[in-house]
Amino acid sequence: MEELILKLKKEIIEVLNLEDIKPEDIDENAPLFGGEGLGLDSIDALELIVLMEKNYGIKLQDPNQGKEIFKSINVMADYISKNRTK
Amino acid sequence: MIDIVITGTGIVSAIGVGKEETLRSLQEQRSGIRPLRYLKTEHHEFPVGEVQLSNDEMCALLGIDPTKQPTTRTALMGMVALKEALEQSGLSPDQYPHIPLISGTTVGGMDKSEQYYLDFLENDSRNEYIRTHDCGACTEMMADHFGRFKMLTTLSTACSSAANAVITGAELIRAGRAECVVVGGTECITKFHLNGFASLMILDKEPCRPFDASRAGLNLGEGAAWLVIETAEHAKLRGAKSLARLAGYGNACDAFHQTATSNDGEGPYRAMKQALECGGITPDQVDYINTHGTGTGNNDLTESEAMRRLFGEQVPPFSSTKAFTGHTTSASGTIEAVICILAMQQSFMPVNLRFHDAGQCLTPVHETTKKPLHYVLSNAFGFGGNDSALLFENEGMTARNDNSSFITPNSSLKKVYLLSAAQISAQEPLCDDWKENPVALTEPLTRSREADYKQFIPPLEARRMGRILKRAIATARKALADAAIETPQAIVTGTGLGCIENTEIFLDALCREGEDQMMPTRFMSSTHNTMSSIVAINLQAHGYNATYAHNTVSFQSALMDALLQLRRGAVGNAMVCAHDEMTPGYHALLCKSGYLAGKKATECAVSMVLANENNGSAICEVAGMRLLHRPTEAEKQNALEELLAETRTADYQMTEGYPELFGVNYTTPALDVYAAAHLLNVKPIVVRYNDENHYSLILLRPCSDC
Repeated sequence: MEELILKLKKEIIEVLNLEDIKPEDIDENAPLFGGEGLGLDSIDALELIVLMEKNYGIKLQDPNQGKEIFKSINVMADYISKNRTK
Repeated sequence: MIDIVITGTGIVSAIGVGKEETLRSLQEQRSGIRPLRYLKTEHHEFPVGEVQLSNDEMCALLGIDPTKQPTTRTALMGMVALKEALEQSGLSPDQYPHIPLISGTTVGGMDKSEQYYLDFLENDSRNEYIRTHDCGACTEMMADHFGRFKMLTTLSTACSSAANAVITGAELIRAGRAECVVVGGTECITKFHLNGFASLMILDKEPCRPFDASRAGLNLGEGAAWLVIETAEHAKLRGAKSLARLAGYGNACDAFHQTATSNDGEGPYRAMKQALECGGITPDQVDYINTHGTGTGNNDLTESEAMRRLFGEQVPPFSSTKAFTGHTTSASGTIEAVICILAMQQSFMPVNLRFHDAGQCLTPVHETTKKPLHYVLSNAFGFGGNDSALLFENEGMTARNDNSSFITPNSSLKKVYLLSAAQISAQEPLCDDWKENPVALTEPLTRSREADYKQFIPPLEARRMGRILKRAIATARKALADAAIETPQAIVTGTGLGCIENTEIFLDALCREGEDQMMPTRFMSSTHNTMSSIVAINLQAHGYNATYAHNTVSFQSALMDALLQLRRGAVGNAMVCAHDEMTPGYHALLCKSGYLAGKKATECAVSMVLANENNGSAICEVAGMRLLHRPTEAEKQNALEELLAETRTADYQMTEGYPELFGVNYTTPALDVYAAAHLLNVKPIVVRYNDENHYSLILLRPCSDC
């Protein structure tokens, strides 16, 4: 899991172009969206859906599912580890 | 008083070729949403509203031999609809050179670009299609099929493009610059935007259900529609029958998000409110609204909220006809305008198909309803929050009111001053010092010298922006600061190619790697109106917002639009912007096409603040301009003489621009005006632009002469 979390952080930084942020700056339990955490928005959510599909073979049908899955890095890593097809 | 009437309409969409078939489909409730048939794509899971004609069938209808000239689906559909409109209007081809033609499109020639992109890169078999890519080329192809028009331009404000073409046409008439204008829009479905919309997850796999609680997205549609609009006097003189009046219009910017609509519907609310005010009517006088109603969760809720805000408890009957046609994107503004005119003529309200339960939305008309319609409102909203509304009046009903704001006495026209201008180009960015030590252009392509964007754009916003968007915000912020204006009342942008870097990356992935390249951010920033809308979002500018994308006259068109509004006092200030970027890859293609071969290609970012009052530090006066399509030598001479007479200019100098400083790109004329304004001494200067298709004159006058 530790490994997946670090990999996921690196992938998110790359795909969302979070230039000034390092993996260790991201708190695994902090919300990804909204003011308190990384401050991501609905377009970032779409990019994360694409990331899950391309890197882990997980296809979400409804963008609203993302709201639950992208709560934090921990929640996302947990979902991926349970549902990944690659 | 200026009365604008519609004397010809033409329409083609999934529910019919021509008005007769369209009307029958609407009345018999026959939807045009079907499985994919014409577009070659892997995405057969999405139903669409395709025009039921192949390109070859359209060529046959039009008498075009597709082996002899390049054709695109967008242009062909546009020609089919334009033919119907011109024929009904009774205008003859010898009148066209006196009539401007204004189109709206975003896709332009993308259908052929995505088909031949790999050929462009690898061989010379399809070179003639490289320059049919841009939006302006599409308009030129359509116009050329019928003859020579006085002026051509193209609006590209995503899904409100055609509605904004109507507004610009009406503005030209109100200003007395034309008696008759042909306005419309056209758009075909492409793999490019089908994949783009799919990546935004807003396409429904079932036929769309606008305003219904179960709605799950839109169906893409395609089509074209045109209106011939003219002064009532002009129509009467030539014996043309009026079909309806264009009673008013509104254009506002939601300034909220690139692809989402705001919760309070500020943009839609302002656009509809303005249209009613412009027409001099109260909300209770509206009999029917043809909504934007795309079927996405976001749009229909926002539009419902905007209608609640404007109409209170008494929201007029409304429906979305996108359940019939699909979302015809850039063409939807005029497709739905023609549907409104048909509805007024036949006294019925088109039904909102597949509606069962409103949920949080308002309830649309869901049964066929016969009813006389006096005033009808038609909404068209686009990505970037480019929101417009058109108001039509049924002339057959009661005497018209005199509260219309179309009563504009010409004598009160205001002067226009250039308060400030900022550029990012091959020269020193965001300053005017380049004059002392200009950089010489030596390479075939010189990219712009970038500025420090951190002072203008927070990192979280900047991370998603391409260079062209950063330049747009930086030049806008600098020009506004120099003019001491916080929020401009209008933002009008010209761009030849739009965000070509993102477009190229998306297209390249689509053509090389296939259709599972999901790139929501790239797609979102690939529309031509991204600069104008991202600047509006950055500045929270809810006023007029438009983008012109007509290759070499994109900037001149934007300037013309701003001048029309500043002169009649519709706005006190306006920001006119011009943006084009160039990539090595696209540069190579444009060299291959001939356009940039042997030239010093560059990029352009200019933002200018104009106002109709001199704040004391204006750079110069923008005294007047002319924009013409393929004029004869006599017409060129005449245009110059008229401009000089109108501005009472005797002694002047002329420049053809400064290619040694700013090179060549589609919006170089903006850099030429910028430079001419700064090099201006005592004499007025005419900045002239001339190519095989377009001719423009812009007269700048030192303020000592104003």
